[in-house]
Amino acid sequence: MQLTLKIWRQSSAESTGFFEKYIVDNVTADMSFFEMLDMLNNDLIKQNKSPIVFDHDCREGICGTCGLVINGRAHGPLKGVTACQLHMRTFKNGETLTVEPWRAKSFKVIKDLAVDRQAFDKIMEAGGYISVKTGGAPDANAMPIFKENADEAFDSATCIGCGACVAACKNSSAMLFVGAKVNQYAQLPQGQVEHSKRVKNMVEAMDSAGFGNCTNTGACEAECPKEISISNIIKLNKEYLKFH
Amino acid sequence: MNKHQYDVIVIGAGGAGLSAVAAIPKGLKVAVLSKLFPFRSHTGAAQGGISAALGNLEEDNPLWHAYDTVKGSDYLGDQDAIIQMCNDAPDAIFDLERKGLPFSRLGNGKISQRPFGGHTKNWGESPVRRACHSADRTGHMILHTLYQQALRRETNFFDEFQVVEIITKDNSCCGVVAVKLSTGERHVFHSKSVILATGGYGRCFKVTSNALSLTGDGMAICYQKGIPLQDMEFVQFHPTGLHPLGILITEGARGEGGILVNSRGERFMERYAPSIKDLAPRDIVSRSIYEEIKAGRGIDAKDFVHLDLTHLGRKLLDEKLPDVTGFARTYLNIEPADEPIPVKPTTHYAMGGIPTDVDGRVIIDPDGSIMHGLYASGECACVSVHGANRLGTNSLLDLVVFGKRAGQHASIYSESSKLSELPSDAGYDSESFLQQVRSNTRGPKVYEIREKMQEIMMDYCSVFRNEEGMKKCASLLSELREDFQKVTISDKSNFYNYEMMAAFELSCMLDVSEATLHGAMLRKESRGAHSREDYPDRNDQDWLKHTLCYQEKGNDPTFKFKNVNLGKFEVKARVY
Repeated sequence: MQLTLKIWRQSSAESTGFFEKYIVDNVTADMSFFEMLDMLNNDLIKQNKSPIVFDHDCREGICGTCGLVINGRAHGPLKGVTACQLHMRTFKNGETLTVEPWRAKSFKVIKDLAVDRQAFDKIMEAGGYISVKTGGAPDANAMPIFKENADEAFDSATCIGCGACVAACKNSSAMLFVGAKVNQYAQLPQGQVEHSKRVKNMVEAMDSAGFGNCTNTGACEAECPKEISISNIIKLNKEYLKFH
Repeated sequence: MNKHQYDVIVIGAGGAGLSAVAAIPKGLKVAVLSKLFPFRSHTGAAQGGISAALGNLEEDNPLWHAYDTVKGSDYLGDQDAIIQMCNDAPDAIFDLERKGLPFSRLGNGKISQRPFGGHTKNWGESPVRRACHSADRTGHMILHTLYQQALRRETNFFDEFQVVEIITKDNSCCGVVAVKLSTGERHVFHSKSVILATGGYGRCFKVTSNALSLTGDGMAICYQKGIPLQDMEFVQFHPTGLHPLGILITEGARGEGGILVNSRGERFMERYAPSIKDLAPRDIVSRSIYEEIKAGRGIDAKDFVHLDLTHLGRKLLDEKLPDVTGFARTYLNIEPADEPIPVKPTTHYAMGGIPTDVDGRVIIDPDGSIMHGLYASGECACVSVHGANRLGTNSLLDLVVFGKRAGQHASIYSESSKLSELPSDAGYDSESFLQQVRSNTRGPKVYEIREKMQEIMMDYCSVFRNEEGMKKCASLLSELREDFQKVTISDKSNFYNYEMMAAFELSCMLDVSEATLHGAMLRKESRGAHSREDYPDRNDQDWLKHTLCYQEKGNDPTFKFKNVNLGKFEVKARVY
């Protein structure tokens, strides 16, 4: 099939970006979206033009590197997948696709479709960890954890830090990301000791990194490739209120 | 050039690198250099589990685990290192648990465990439940937990720095040279010790489960400086890659009861490994799949078989194997609860790598001489605990256990030594390489050479190998190396020049492919993952030894041999 791509090109964070139009032929239904971009890039390289920069690595939806807004949707039109898991069979011959980077004040464009997501690190540094004491080895299974809690902690911990929640949100809020981290540790006994401090510090770091607040549109949950539930935000709010 | 000074420098921020960081005391100045953002590293893709003889569901014993690992390695693994790893395993699990890793749990609150290929009880009697897991996202959870710990430690992260050269002087390592991707500038990191944790090189092959960043960088920069690479002929092909993409379906799928079937609907593993069937080690299952395909029993007589999970039920699949079911649905439009998944072997893991001792210290000759201040751990290293074939779940264990040990030893070394002066030619080699690539004006593009290399390595140096094919491959590979001298890039800028970095990665892949291919040509026997059609039997008399491959610029590499550490477990025929 043949597609028309309108791709965001921007040579650096400081420069002005623009959409450039490309026609791609010989796209097959089995091709992944990124294989299609690879094909386009190889053509550009052959013509001595600079290839389109986009973030990607594992191409199986686990590393969290990729992130594109395709026709206005973070990670494209399908539910519960990352952009790298998207296949061309999702699209029709002759279609025009608009491809943009994540748009958020806290995620600066690096080049073309690649953005800087280090703001997430700043939030994590503020408390997204357990402060364990080093010492002797503990007894076997010293820390039994109810299966329900373990399962909920697992669900929250499936976050891959891609930033789709921020990109999908009209306020560029990172509350789903923060909520998932806080709730993961809230479910586990190891996380209790510094719980209140964690909630406060992470929320403050989120605010100072320039992320907006939640107004409950649910866009983050709808676009999250790991389908992390918005209930994590409810729990975050509850925990935050408890201590403040 | 920009200069930095640290006590310890860690290259790579996957499971091995971050385990090392976690083991370094706060008083030491540490920098982590990664070509990616840390939690994008490939440890995150590990699915099925991490083994430890916790015995949460049935009796188990670290020595059984060690026995299975030795047998799985086809007796090429070093038994002292293997026993060390299996003994350290339970503590490693509890350590991760304390750091907040959300393991899957049993009804009684204990950590859940499941069977995995080659893991047995009572010296090979029957499968045992030994693999601790977080559903099928175990690696993701380990990576994020360790990264969080590194953030807590206030580690200096240099993200998107591509290391292009190690700096050595008189058998000691005193730093590295790296290119900052966002500016193209070269930085010298001067340090007392360097820990390499750069992962594998699956991208040398056409069909692979590895991410695009797995290009053998750490191995290659050592190899270029005269450090040998050990046992490079042993590359693991995981039996269940999604056909045709090569994306991995975890062995956990068979651990949970999935079976492999051929075009006649036969559960063919019953014939190849009667006692543990579909849970035989990966090398055996991969070969069996190809034997079925060769005999015309591939599905529709094509080059794949079926992984059947339909009898497990939708509930179990969604709860215990959510990623796998997701993959089948996303990539192939297949509902695994209703229909079987087409699979074939995919390049997965490098058993070989930079030779080290159990403390991660890099070894440079058969006598065990040390390159002072240089450490390696994880997939880029060869301790060797995996020998000729790695058992599933042992890679995560390897990187947690030996990453930590490398971090501990590098700390002790750095506390007691001074920064040595940098040699005057530090960084010269990488500088001239980058300049050459930039100045080339007419020649092949990076992707053209890369695609050819991946094709010939897959065709002639994968699951089955023979003299004739490999000779052909060797001459094609040296042609590609010559072409590479003229490689040209269209992007000449300094700012995020991914094309330039791709050229560097390709140079690394060509180097490690050379070591792999020549090792495979040299080893005239079949052992573990290395299967020679022309030498189908294992030959302990001549080949129960490690190979050390040394680069000879402009010539074929040369080899030396290193003894295998035996002693505890008797070398026997490997029958399952």
